[in-house]
Amino acid sequence: MTGKTTPMVNITGLEKRFGPEVAVHGVNLSVEKGEFVTLLGPSGCGKTTTLRCIAGLERLDAGEISIGEKIVVSAGKNIFLYPEQREIGMVFQSYAVWPHMTVFDNVAYGLRVRGFGSAELKKKTNYALELVGLDHLASRFATKLSGGQRQRVALARAICYEPNVILFDEPLSNLDAKLREQMRDEIVRLQKEVGITSIFVTHDQSEALVMSDRIVVMDKAVIQQIGDPKTIYANPANAFVANFIGVANLFEGNLSDRKGGNAAAKIDFGGALGVKELLANDVSNISSNSKIHLCIRPEDMELSTKKFTGELAKNSITGKVIETVYLGNFLECRVKIGNYEMIIQLDHFEQLKKDQSVNVSFKAAHGLLLSD
Amino acid sequence: MADTLAPVQPDSTWRRFFTQENVVTIVVGFIVAVAVILPLVVLLVSSFLVLDDMGFDSEWGFDNYVTLFTDRIIPKAMLNSLYVSSGTCLVSTVLGVSLAWINARTNSPGRDSIEPYNLIPFFLSPFVGAIAWHNLASPKVGLLNVWYRDLFGLDGEQYLLNVDTLWGVIWVTGIFFTPLVYLFVVGSLRRMDPSLEDSARTTGAGLLRTTLTITLPLVTPAILSGAIIVFVTSAGEFGVPFKLAAPYGWETLTTQIFTKAVGDDANHYMGATMSMVLGIITVLLIWVQRAYIAPRSYTTVTGKGFRPNVLDLGRWKWVAFGFNILYILVAVILPILCLAVVSLHPVWTAEIVPSDMSMNNYVKTLFWWEEDSIRAATDGIINSFILAFSGASIAMVLALVVSYMIHRTRGFGAKLLDFLCVIPIGFPGIVLAMGVLVTYIKTPIYATLWILLLGYITRFFPYGQRNIASIMLAISEELDQSSRMAGATWFTTLRRITIPLLKPGIFAGWVLLFVIFLRELSISIILYSTGTETLSVGVYYLANFENEALTSALSMTQTVVLLICIFIFRRVAGKEALTA
Amino acid sequence: MARAETKDEKYLVVDHLIKWFGSDRAVDDVSFSIEKGKFLTLLGPSGCGKTTTLMSIAGLHTIDSGEIRVGDVIYTSKEKKIFLAPEKRDIGMVFQSYAIWPHMTVAQNVAYPLEIRKIERVEIDERVDKVLALVGLTEMSDKLATQLSGGQQQRASLARAIVSNPLLLLFDEPLSNLDLKLREQMRVELKRIQNEVGITSIYVTHDQSEALVMSDEIIVMSKGQIEQRDIPLSVYSKPANGYVSQFIGVANLIEGTLAKKNKSGTGVADLNKTIKGLTCDCVLSSELESGDDVLVSIRPENISVSKKNTGGKGIKGKVDLAIFLGNCVDCRISSDGFEWKVLSHPRENLQQGDSVFLHLDPKHTLAVTP
Repeated sequence: MTGKTTPMVNITGLEKRFGPEVAVHGVNLSVEKGEFVTLLGPSGCGKTTTLRCIAGLERLDAGEISIGEKIVVSAGKNIFLYPEQREIGMVFQSYAVWPHMTVFDNVAYGLRVRGFGSAELKKKTNYALELVGLDHLASRFATKLSGGQRQRVALARAICYEPNVILFDEPLSNLDAKLREQMRDEIVRLQKEVGITSIFVTHDQSEALVMSDRIVVMDKAVIQQIGDPKTIYANPANAFVANFIGVANLFEGNLSDRKGGNAAAKIDFGGALGVKELLANDVSNISSNSKIHLCIRPEDMELSTKKFTGELAKNSITGKVIETVYLGNFLECRVKIGNYEMIIQLDHFEQLKKDQSVNVSFKAAHGLLLSD
Repeated sequence: MADTLAPVQPDSTWRRFFTQENVVTIVVGFIVAVAVILPLVVLLVSSFLVLDDMGFDSEWGFDNYVTLFTDRIIPKAMLNSLYVSSGTCLVSTVLGVSLAWINARTNSPGRDSIEPYNLIPFFLSPFVGAIAWHNLASPKVGLLNVWYRDLFGLDGEQYLLNVDTLWGVIWVTGIFFTPLVYLFVVGSLRRMDPSLEDSARTTGAGLLRTTLTITLPLVTPAILSGAIIVFVTSAGEFGVPFKLAAPYGWETLTTQIFTKAVGDDANHYMGATMSMVLGIITVLLIWVQRAYIAPRSYTTVTGKGFRPNVLDLGRWKWVAFGFNILYILVAVILPILCLAVVSLHPVWTAEIVPSDMSMNNYVKTLFWWEEDSIRAATDGIINSFILAFSGASIAMVLALVVSYMIHRTRGFGAKLLDFLCVIPIGFPGIVLAMGVLVTYIKTPIYATLWILLLGYITRFFPYGQRNIASIMLAISEELDQSSRMAGATWFTTLRRITIPLLKPGIFAGWVLLFVIFLRELSISIILYSTGTETLSVGVYYLANFENEALTSALSMTQTVVLLICIFIFRRVAGKEALTA
Repeated sequence: MARAETKDEKYLVVDHLIKWFGSDRAVDDVSFSIEKGKFLTLLGPSGCGKTTTLMSIAGLHTIDSGEIRVGDVIYTSKEKKIFLAPEKRDIGMVFQSYAIWPHMTVAQNVAYPLEIRKIERVEIDERVDKVLALVGLTEMSDKLATQLSGGQQQRASLARAIVSNPLLLLFDEPLSNLDLKLREQMRVELKRIQNEVGITSIYVTHDQSEALVMSDEIIVMSKGQIEQRDIPLSVYSKPANGYVSQFIGVANLIEGTLAKKNKSGTGVADLNKTIKGLTCDCVLSSELESGDDVLVSIRPENISVSKKNTGGKGIKGKVDLAIFLGNCVDCRISSDGFEWKVLSHPRENLQQGDSVFLHLDPKHTLAVTP
């Protein structure tokens, strides 16, 4: 993004170590005003540490972070603002709703700290409670609330005093599946309504896809890719991203040839199948004869008991059915192809037997080439 | 392949009832119920028995309760007890909360190495502490006062400190009961989810404000629980007022109960009545704690590994450090040093004479059988070891079965037992001892070690039970169930799964009880007789003869044994055993 | 490792089981049976009685009425006053918390049921090795349970449950403590191992996708009663009633009346009271008659959506929300005040605000009792 306005949150060269272990390495990220950005990755990838550095709950070893107009921390300039000086709101995984206060007092806390008068304090608190649909529970003690309600209190508490940015630390992972989806939709709705800048940490790819304007995929302390959900899903930067977001069939091989707008990839399937040449979408940034991963999404694979014709015939490979699993809205079929196991998503109910011989294929446009 | 278990035969109804599980739990449950309830019922009944002037016959009546308020001494003693308990409660709470906060939440230097020493007074005998402090700060012969006079060239009437007062009782009991508050609060601070504080910081509250509006309110239930326990325990404390207040004209309820239970003026029924007063007050307070304070405890275990926030005190961290060191100095180091110095002199004259020092007093207390007063001390050592070893072992077996019943079975029996386990903790030792005395005085076990053993176990087995229960609650019931599903009977499951899993708790509980029994005074002083003196009774004997040097030697022996036990306890039970 | 075959097709029989908790009927007259070697799942929300049913089979609590038997062994029967202690029932069980004993190694854990059965050491070692290989924990056999990850603990737990070749294998939500990716992997694995050892299994879960993937048959429960029992495909595509269709997967449920009933099990539903002027051809799930109130259930993936009205009778609507889920787009499409949930292919490229047409497929439009 090349916005002319100054970004709301700007991180440059962030570095954080715990003892000898590097938790975050060289993270650069800028978040625009009103944007919803998700830090996504497996546990231990550095996403939570990054968030806690932004919040000021963790000191950093190198780099600089600014929120709004202010530099809140800079290793070089020896600046460190305490969390309470950063104008942020934060929602925690464990809700962190104070059990010795009522819902109202929890939400009003940030306003009290800021010295708001009682009339305005009441108005703003009630407005925030209405936003999360808890106005009827204002005088209830926090211990009497369910998990979902507590997380709403935490949310209201964080938005009530209109901070520059809200930080979410896996806020949905303590909730059960149905409630999680409901809260997820609610947070998106609220965020759009209030227009507040948000940084959201999660390990759940579906949460990230649904909620974000942009996703920052992290692994092993570094950023792997930044992009909007569709781009990240359709054009993953590398095999890790392809595998982490959605399901991917990945094959290792060489880029052998380029013809007619397509690239030819030589894949060694092993076994009786041996080396096969498959056509994939050409990408200019990969040079010929270099090592690549070929990635095809299960929903882009075709399966047939008959021979393919036309374009599909070129990429046709024969394999054996390992099993078919019924997933409700579609059928998932695992097919053994050489040494690889492929997952194919079928939206029609085909009767397939174990060990049955089938042909699988994909359109060249759906084959993604990823550099090694 | 036939893997079947024993041939499958449907059980008939009556065989089903007499399972291993039911038989063991019913028998143990019955024993516990009788042991706990019987003495209290007899105590209650006895409090309505009025002894005639000759001291032979008795009849029913409320006269004892009237005497409580008309007697020359008892009303004052009750007020003194109230005064001492309130004072102790205040001292322990202020010290305990400050120390807990310093150790759990600040960057005061050397916390990890200092912390264990804060708990030492918890294991030592307050009675011995009183003896040591008497030698340190009694107006005439207290070392500190002697040095003070020497330093400023003052005459023998002037002094700096005087512990031979109710204030002295409050001071000594207060510093010795500080770990009780400390343990409650430090655990609560450590278990607290740090995001509760983090969220206050990110919401915009500064450090001081977060501490005052979030941290402190969240640990208030723990502070109140600790304070109540201290109030109750100090009301039942006998040794300290006996040493520091009674000889100087300040009687308390416990010293009065003691005079009514033993000695020339003995009137067991009046003793029972006074015990009832103490018992009722403590039960009321414990009930308040259980019903109103404990349920408000906010800091439950969430099972996540927390990195507690540590507060940077800047230069003030040295003040915090000094405060902690000062506490250890007055509660542990000074008393022990003083005992050691006094014990090395043949006769203590409030003057340190290095050339006179020898180990003779230790040899005397351990091996000198001839003199009567010293024979009591020597016997006391042997008796206490017998009682501590057998008592801890029996109590832990009971504790194991009782914990199992409370936490692994459901129904009426479990709730009743849980209740029965709270009662002895609520009742001060001296009250329970009076109950045991009036119950068993006419049976053959009176004047034997058995009655002491009975008193010890009844009063203290809940401590062991708590040690086991805390582990039992942490391990899933499914661990037991999966053994049953694997084909093991109840008893096999207990032997191969449950007990091995509880081993750390069982051992920690055993050592804790061993320590408690080795220093026990309140029960022993009521229930001992010639030949069944205990270690603490021996100290009491020697203290009565006003032989400070011998008293200190025996006290030192007890203290050293206790310190060794603490060391073992920590090695075995691990660092977190008490603070977790 | 096969046992002597029982002739009876019904291997496990649960007969009119009733269990009260206080004044609650946790299990309300439940009867079912399964054949030897099958994998049956009890599926339902928490509090539906599925776990209570499982615990009754395990003998971890007593029952208030009914009978449970396996083959010719009666586990418990209120009428015959029989209650077999859990350890005598010869059952393998896998718990949600794994329940691996932390003071033993993996091998010791797995050997335990065999030691209890007093089998010789040599044979124990041999069988433990075999089972550990089956669950893929050979390398871990000398590790303490506390050194294992969640997934490995669950494998060890499974090994311990199957090593004695028990009469029954019970699973109490064994995967719900694992995280998403691992859960998906473990359910395929669990099913594979169960297939291999062939022990009759009862599996309890609240996760419908787990049930669909693993089971030979599914029993859907609610409020202590059985709502439907069927093979996974049928539970999903032919739910018995509104409750089942809502609980398993996502469904558009539209209230209406049955206007016409054909002989072939199809009919026409009048949905006028929910969406003005809409009628649709549908398949009838149960004994419905003309004029009955019905719920029409249509799965989001069975509605085709396009920007042009291709096949005449399209329902006009507007895209309110298009949530990109990777392999599909979850759309909310409003039409005459009704909000349709539709799954569309990403290549359709639907955006918020687009005008679209919905087409229902009569084969996948199902009328059920409300």
